[in-house]
Amino acid sequence: MGRRLLLVALVVLALGIPGAFGGGASDPGITPTSIHIGGTTPLTGPAQAFSTVAKGAFAYFRYVNARGGVNKRKINYEYLDDQYTPSETVRQTRILVQDKHVFAIFNALGTEQNQATEAYLNQAQVPQLFVASGATTWGRDYRRNPWTIGYQPTYIAEGAMYGNYLRRTQPKAKIAILYQNDDYGKDLITGLKRGLGPKAGNIVARESYEPTDADVQSQIARLRPSKAAVLMLFSTPKFTIQAYQYVNGLGWKPKIFVNAVSSASNIMLISSSRGHNKRVEGSISIVFLKDPNDPKWARDPGVALYRKIMRTYARGENPKDVYNLYGMSVAFTFIDALKHAGKNPTRQSLMNAAIRLNERNNPFLLPRMVIKTTPTERFPIDQARLERWHNGRWISFGGLLRARS
Amino acid sequence: MSRLGLARTAGAAVALGAGIAAVFLAPRWVSDLRLSHMGVYFIAILGLNIVTGYTGQISLGHGAFMAVGGYTTAILVADHGVRDLWTIPIAGLVGGLAGFLVGIPALRLSGPYLALVTFGLAVAMPDILKWDKLEGLTHGSKGIQLFLQPGLTGKGFEHVHVFGHALTFTRWVHYLTWAIALVLLIVAWLLLRGALGRAFRAVRDSEVAAASSGVNLAAYKTLAFAISAAYAGIAGSLLVIGGFYADPPTFPAKLSLTLLVGVVVAGLGSLWAVVAGAAFIEFLPDLALHVSKAQGVPDAVYGAALVAIVLVLPTGLAGGLRRTLTPLTTRLYTRR
Repeated sequence: MGRRLLLVALVVLALGIPGAFGGGASDPGITPTSIHIGGTTPLTGPAQAFSTVAKGAFAYFRYVNARGGVNKRKINYEYLDDQYTPSETVRQTRILVQDKHVFAIFNALGTEQNQATEAYLNQAQVPQLFVASGATTWGRDYRRNPWTIGYQPTYIAEGAMYGNYLRRTQPKAKIAILYQNDDYGKDLITGLKRGLGPKAGNIVARESYEPTDADVQSQIARLRPSKAAVLMLFSTPKFTIQAYQYVNGLGWKPKIFVNAVSSASNIMLISSSRGHNKRVEGSISIVFLKDPNDPKWARDPGVALYRKIMRTYARGENPKDVYNLYGMSVAFTFIDALKHAGKNPTRQSLMNAAIRLNERNNPFLLPRMVIKTTPTERFPIDQARLERWHNGRWISFGGLLRARS
Repeated sequence: MSRLGLARTAGAAVALGAGIAAVFLAPRWVSDLRLSHMGVYFIAILGLNIVTGYTGQISLGHGAFMAVGGYTTAILVADHGVRDLWTIPIAGLVGGLAGFLVGIPALRLSGPYLALVTFGLAVAMPDILKWDKLEGLTHGSKGIQLFLQPGLTGKGFEHVHVFGHALTFTRWVHYLTWAIALVLLIVAWLLLRGALGRAFRAVRDSEVAAASSGVNLAAYKTLAFAISAAYAGIAGSLLVIGGFYADPPTFPAKLSLTLLVGVVVAGLGSLWAVVAGAAFIEFLPDLALHVSKAQGVPDAVYGAALVAIVLVLPTGLAGGLRRTLTPLTTRLYTRR
């Protein structure tokens, strides 16, 4: 009897020990001294202006690593070029997961790009963290994709903010829309209509482009005869800059709303041809980050930290490029999640931490903004302010608004 | 068999053996995903070489034939539940048919005019794939996802069992791609060494001379286009199976140019050097990114490397090797 008990005890121990101590160690990409994460971003091709979203995050991780990392682990963030092409995103993501054995995919950029990899990553149970896209699906479809979470305000929420504002301030104005022909552009329109509510009929014209198009000259020319008083630019930076030029060239003088993807002040300065293009004046957008080019934040500790990190860890990169700051903000949130994922994080514990964020100290976000997620509320940034372009810089107005779809 | 012929056959056998060994050994150092992608390029360049290198008809549109093959596979697997392997020959046939149709204008046009027609096809292809009227077939700009589809071997994530060995999906695709590449290389060699190859080369070297020796220009040009497009169709099919995804930007106009770069780097009219051309277009973009990730620099490095190669090896790698080795080997054979 005693021997049998001993045997049972041994079996229990043999089964129990690996469960208790071995589980975490088995996830790829993590060692006692390092954690290897990866992501995709367009380093070449038409959307390469977005590459600083990855480069800014990379610089922030170098800064954290120089200070000892997280629980003595250095963050090794490897970003690969996908040329903003979904099939290439799939390939590079598989290279990261299968060959480089990354612990998680982080900050991968683009709506269609991430949609192309979500089935694969969720099947492989690899966290798809803080997707750099505002499509609603990242926060909404967690039952289908429990390993996926977004970061920025959703495009639907952003569109709704513009719609609300127009309904209150210009309920009679006719509206024309330029949009990218994918879920990004369409979500913004959905939100705009939601915000306009009964005034959704004010939308009189819309034209789409493909990300691979050379320019949007013909789209703007087709929108022009609508005589709309308001123009929505739901387009990426390259096409937004072009749109401002063509609108000006046609002598059209609508009030322009420019989506947050393209409203970074460095891009607005290009759009305005250093102040020569008067169509840029008075443009409206939303903001949730501190703009490093805005003198208002000159003495802000967050922006000072940003500048210091750019100087030390991103030599040669342009500190006026606001996407660098976006990258640092999302890297800050990643570090926050990692710290809450336990001493020996697993993919599961990191995911658990990402859906239970309560972050009040992100130095790169506007004051008083809170990043809060729960297992059923997976929209990390759901606040923003409206802003107006005046004399070469953005001036925010109104208080913090709820940006939820 | 002459001594030269014997040496050549022996050389070919050794190269073939080394190639097969490389297919099994390379995954130790290079990602399966990269190797199978290179295999796709290999097959496409092989095909392009038949029409451009051997028959002298410049095609700037082979990416479009890859798209035809790739979408054939994607639609059959995703919407009709066909097993992926069976779609590969079908993709070849459909691609070949497309090539045959494009080959018809090739009867009237030649040189830069033909190149422009084929380039037009390459430029239009992504838009054709996005066209509303075809959306039921192509799923528009969203593309077609094959991952988890029952027709995809192992649904894209399960292990694949081949002769009692359990292979990962990506390793399996790597072997599959290169096995097909090897078969297609031998087929190309068999086709080109005989009367057909002579006729193709005659068309390339002088259409007038070829016609006056009884070569039916129209028939041979169209045939070259069809065979070559069938190769591209198979390459596209393998690209979609291995990448389990097909969408319009997978087959941009740039792809056709990239393939032509591959043929030129390899050397027009040479089969062996195709592997170097494929390696070049597969790995150079990575190397360029390695130089610098600063905006615009990788593209510039790529361009500069290309210019440098064409300056140093104006007849491609094959021509360069021939120029270096021929004086040596001829001396070997002629010495007594």
